[in-house]
Amino acid sequence: MNLGATVELDCPATQPNSCAPLQISIGNVPLSLYIREEALLAPALRRYREFEQSSENGFPIILNQQEARTQESGEFSYLLDDAKLILGSRGAEFHDVRHEYALDSLLRILLTMVLLPQRGFLLHGATVVRDGRAYIFFGRSGAGKSTVASLSPEGSVLTDEISLVRYSNGCWQAHGTPFWGEFRSAGINRLFPIAGLYLLKQAKEDRVESLSVKQALRALLPCVLFFASEKRAHETLLRTLMGLIEEIPCHRLHFRRNAEFWKVIAA
Amino acid sequence: MKGHIVRNPKLAWREVDGEMVIISPEDSQVHELNETASLIWKHAEGKSLEELAERISAEYEVSLEAARADIGELVAALEQKQLVFVATGVKG
Repeated sequence: MNLGATVELDCPATQPNSCAPLQISIGNVPLSLYIREEALLAPALRRYREFEQSSENGFPIILNQQEARTQESGEFSYLLDDAKLILGSRGAEFHDVRHEYALDSLLRILLTMVLLPQRGFLLHGATVVRDGRAYIFFGRSGAGKSTVASLSPEGSVLTDEISLVRYSNGCWQAHGTPFWGEFRSAGINRLFPIAGLYLLKQAKEDRVESLSVKQALRALLPCVLFFASEKRAHETLLRTLMGLIEEIPCHRLHFRRNAEFWKVIAA
Repeated sequence: MKGHIVRNPKLAWREVDGEMVIISPEDSQVHELNETASLIWKHAEGKSLEELAERISAEYEVSLEAARADIGELVAALEQKQLVFVATGVKG
């Protein structure tokens, strides 16, 4: 699949028979969402409003249009309940999307595939910006991601649920995402160099523990959103994660669910 | 000791600090090997169990007999997890 640099993304062979697309950009991946149904378009406009960005070369995503084929056969497909994603090098189709949650989920899956060859991935984590650098607090459900976000100053949180990590301009950067917990419409469409990665662990004291490369890999792997089942895709992911943790320090953050944790991070 | 060791070709893997981290793409299961098992994984491909025993015996300065026993156990464990296969009668 040639989903390398975004500039290499092709335009669809035929423009879908639809209204003007909703053009957004997430993690510097320009996307053109062709949505006919008002019931899906209205929530999409709300959810992704911070990420709207005009682009002539947005990767086309066509919703619920059986007749508009962007490719002869999909190179990657994924079935999520009733909804289906078909991804080719020239565009994607989302089928049987009945509500905004399915649209959002398929969009995340699509992004994981598009970001993969670009040294990027999505991570279950909250990203908070402090002094111009991004701190990623990651962990599984219930680890405390939204707590960390809620304890951080307004305007400093790039996401409270799904972080986007990508290598660009010679460094590892965290991008804002529209993927927030409880389906809130939020997010800041900016990117910041990553200062550190923190695996969240609730504890009775605030303490930072450095992780070795192997420990960091072990911590990150279950928190990466990943849907491919090909060997090569997993090899690419491993390479990307190793590149990240060889450059960016990774820690386990023992924290008491209050804002004092910043003291041990700054120390 | 008979047979040659073949890594499961479906697996993605990476060496981290001298130890192997192996992912099964079909179910995203992650396997981590200890130092000795990693050594087997790294050097086993296409080798006979006997060749591997000789190598381990030399590298760890243990008797060939002890190496054979350890390898037999480790390879059986790796085989049970479908990380490697032991092919018999192909080479040798």
